[in-house]
Amino acid sequence: MSGSRTRRTTSLLFILAAVLPIVLLAVSLNMGAYPVPLKAVWTTVHDALVPGRPAAEASPYADILFRIRLPRLLLALFAGAALAVSGASLQAIFKNPLVFEFSLGISYGAAFGAALSLVFLGRGMPAQVSAFFFAILAVLLVLLIAGRSSSQIISVLLSGIIVSALFQALLSLVEFFANPYALQALIFWLMGSLAHATWSDLSLTLPVIGLGVVILILLRWRMNVLSLGEDEARSVGVNVRQEKILIIVVATLTTAAATSVTGVINWIGLIVPHLVRMMVGADNRKVIPLSASFGACLLLVADDIARTAASFEIPIGILTSVVGIPFFIILLKRSGKVWL
Amino acid sequence: MAFVATLAGFFVPGTAGEAREIVITDDLGRVVAFPAKVERVISLEPEITRIIVALGAGERLVGIDFFLRHHDHLFSVLFPRSKSLPVVSNQGQELNYELALRLRPDVIFSSPSEFRMTESIERKMRRPVAALASMGKFDVLLREIELLGRIFGREERAAELDAFFRGRMEALRAAAPDAGGRGKPSVYLSFWGSLIRTPVAYEPVDAAGGRNLAAGLLPSQLGAAGTTVPVEQILIWDPDVILVQGNYPPGERSVTVEGILGDPRFSSLRAVRDKRVHYTFGFWYWWDPALVLVETLYLARLFDPGRFPDFDLAEEGDRIFKTFYGTEGAFSALCRTLKCHEWIAN
Amino acid sequence: MKVQVRALTFSYGLFTLRVPEQDFGEAGITAIVGPNGAGKSTFLKCAASVLPVSRGAVLVGGRDMAGLSARARARLAGYVPQEPSFTFNYQVLDFVLTGRAAFIPAFSSPSRRDIEIAEESLCFVGLEGFSRRLFLELSSGERRLVLIARTLAQQPAVLLLDEPTTFLDPRHEVGMMELLRRLAREKQKTVIVTLHDLDMAVKYADDMVFMKGGAVIASGPPRDVLSEPLLKAVYDIDMGIVRTNGRLVIVR
Repeated sequence: MSGSRTRRTTSLLFILAAVLPIVLLAVSLNMGAYPVPLKAVWTTVHDALVPGRPAAEASPYADILFRIRLPRLLLALFAGAALAVSGASLQAIFKNPLVFEFSLGISYGAAFGAALSLVFLGRGMPAQVSAFFFAILAVLLVLLIAGRSSSQIISVLLSGIIVSALFQALLSLVEFFANPYALQALIFWLMGSLAHATWSDLSLTLPVIGLGVVILILLRWRMNVLSLGEDEARSVGVNVRQEKILIIVVATLTTAAATSVTGVINWIGLIVPHLVRMMVGADNRKVIPLSASFGACLLLVADDIARTAASFEIPIGILTSVVGIPFFIILLKRSGKVWL
Repeated sequence: MAFVATLAGFFVPGTAGEAREIVITDDLGRVVAFPAKVERVISLEPEITRIIVALGAGERLVGIDFFLRHHDHLFSVLFPRSKSLPVVSNQGQELNYELALRLRPDVIFSSPSEFRMTESIERKMRRPVAALASMGKFDVLLREIELLGRIFGREERAAELDAFFRGRMEALRAAAPDAGGRGKPSVYLSFWGSLIRTPVAYEPVDAAGGRNLAAGLLPSQLGAAGTTVPVEQILIWDPDVILVQGNYPPGERSVTVEGILGDPRFSSLRAVRDKRVHYTFGFWYWWDPALVLVETLYLARLFDPGRFPDFDLAEEGDRIFKTFYGTEGAFSALCRTLKCHEWIAN
Repeated sequence: MKVQVRALTFSYGLFTLRVPEQDFGEAGITAIVGPNGAGKSTFLKCAASVLPVSRGAVLVGGRDMAGLSARARARLAGYVPQEPSFTFNYQVLDFVLTGRAAFIPAFSSPSRRDIEIAEESLCFVGLEGFSRRLFLELSSGERRLVLIARTLAQQPAVLLLDEPTTFLDPRHEVGMMELLRRLAREKQKTVIVTLHDLDMAVKYADDMVFMKGGAVIASGPPRDVLSEPLLKAVYDIDMGIVRTNGRLVIVR
């Protein structure tokens, strides 16, 4: 492939990545159970951005669009970006293409933390705090169990599976002790859903995710260096321990923030970075920002399907699993493939 | 789709006037044959347990399930003997087989929402296992009462309860608003701890003169009683009344009336503006027949307060519970735990 | 830049490396030779501070390596392993660019200057035009050259290479040693290599360090230090030194 052609493809992809989320957001704003005419969407948005119309003529659709749809769409975009970028970052620094938030135990750690908070602390404390704490704990456990060979593929993967299983078991324990009333809500939450997005939830989550994603994007070239492995990265002049911990903490924080609101949504952190690498190669300067954008778009589209395809809400975790699991299997089979 | 219990009772000629085997198809479509004499019973379905006690056959219970012992605030009041019964299931409604076998039950009742459990019990215990639950429908509930009456030889008592139930319902229907009047209020039910989960069939609403907006929708899982709707759907429906399941102690409620009234997403709803957002008892995977009646009365008054002005629901409730279970003040006891005095006295 | 080793000890398992004093000459090639298990690689890694060393053990340009940050160390000494560990399939240029990490702040990306330096390094090792090739598609020898290019991009004063000629065919072996010579002469780098091939060492090294059992037996320019008794002592077999075509050749 000639150099200029790849450069052109890459530029096109970057433009697409910048534009697509906005386009999809506009399209998704029009989708939903409540019929809102196209023109009305335009007027309502316009009025919101350009104030001046007297209150009496205010659009009746403002509630639907801005209180119900918009928070949900934004959550989809941000959570999708969070999961994809975290997955891509972790893959880079663990030098392991099969790593993503699920295989490191972050997902279930966060889920357990949120469940603990929901069941025993009720609405007093935001679940995000507990979710983050246990997500970090999960990652620390993985590193501890994998030991000094944390740069080996199998070690980290195995440890991740063990820690994931541990937190799933703890989750079951919480369910066991939860009174049946809280249990109902909890089980439902665990299936993963964007249906409960409200502005009050998002007021904490969106900034955290935004910050996390931005930091990871800024560190994108650094991940190239860290992906060389501890010894080589150090000899090239990088404070490996510090920077690795930074990336792990930020990736975990971002994932936990998303998971504590949406429940467990798997596979995005695996599918999206690999799709992106298949298109543009392994250079993280391209992979990280493109993953953010395409992760956001993917989750948004999946959620659109979840809320409009049938008369009832399809749990989104099921949609991403149904797509993700065959993809994972294909990936495993081809893991000697050159684009890794 | 629907698991409907159909009864096919027929008599097996045996010794004169005595042994009559009853064969039914349960709610999972399984054919179950009950023995002639049922002296020892294990019931994992609290609804059935309640009916057995109401029928006066409570002393035949040899074991009690986890939920009734640990989470049902009322049952020990209705049936004090239950406190000495062994607990035969765990949190997940799984039967402790060895304990159950030791108790030598003649028959076991399970919940239709646990298909594998039912099959497993049948295979391991080699006793008849019937999965029965009414899932929000009156006729199914009444059929259960009649069937259990026959199984336990308490047909008269069953008929009594049946007549009582039907009588109250008839009285209610007679007084229910006509079509020509204000019309039936449309109702959205938020059950099971979630704003967006709602039952596809809930007859107390209909009997009380209302209209369940989610009626007839596809349940989100085959055999389940409810479905999950997008939030926007609630806005499209714009219900006259919103009912929240209040069958929880207040500290454990995740969806509250105040929450809905204060939620900015719903500020445009009719029900929120008119403050017609209330608690109701609702149901789980089981239902208490006496509570069903009380709730229907409560809802009837809620929908049309003009028709039932002087009506002490607490007293009525106690009376209904006494008819069913013979216990004094049972409903008031329940209300104390759920703090429902606050909302039943409009 | 001079490399000075003082009172260096390093042990793992049952093996202990002890070097009380060793200097490496500037702008030249020093070859560390010895039998298997002598501790050549370990010594090299300690000198590069890839393995942790105690304070005062290794001084590069008079500065104590143990007291420096990774970034400062990287600008002094660059270490080239024998083989790279598993990595993603980067383009060659991106791979070489990682060598610039010591010059690029944590939250930044490489500048045009960094890219220029990376490309120059590729040219120097003879891989001009390889920029867009994918790393995992290269031959073993080419990969090694890319590794060296990466270390060159680091612009250290000292380069330490571990067995750079293993598995290379004779032509590429010579090419590698010629490259090292150019690094020492043209770029004035201090080059320290471990070699198993004595002939190559004798031919190209300005200084040789003989090791056995975790200690330095002898060191100095080849014509000064090389002798048959020394070879016997180090390698435990009889070897002959032959002068032919104006060169010294080792005969087993």
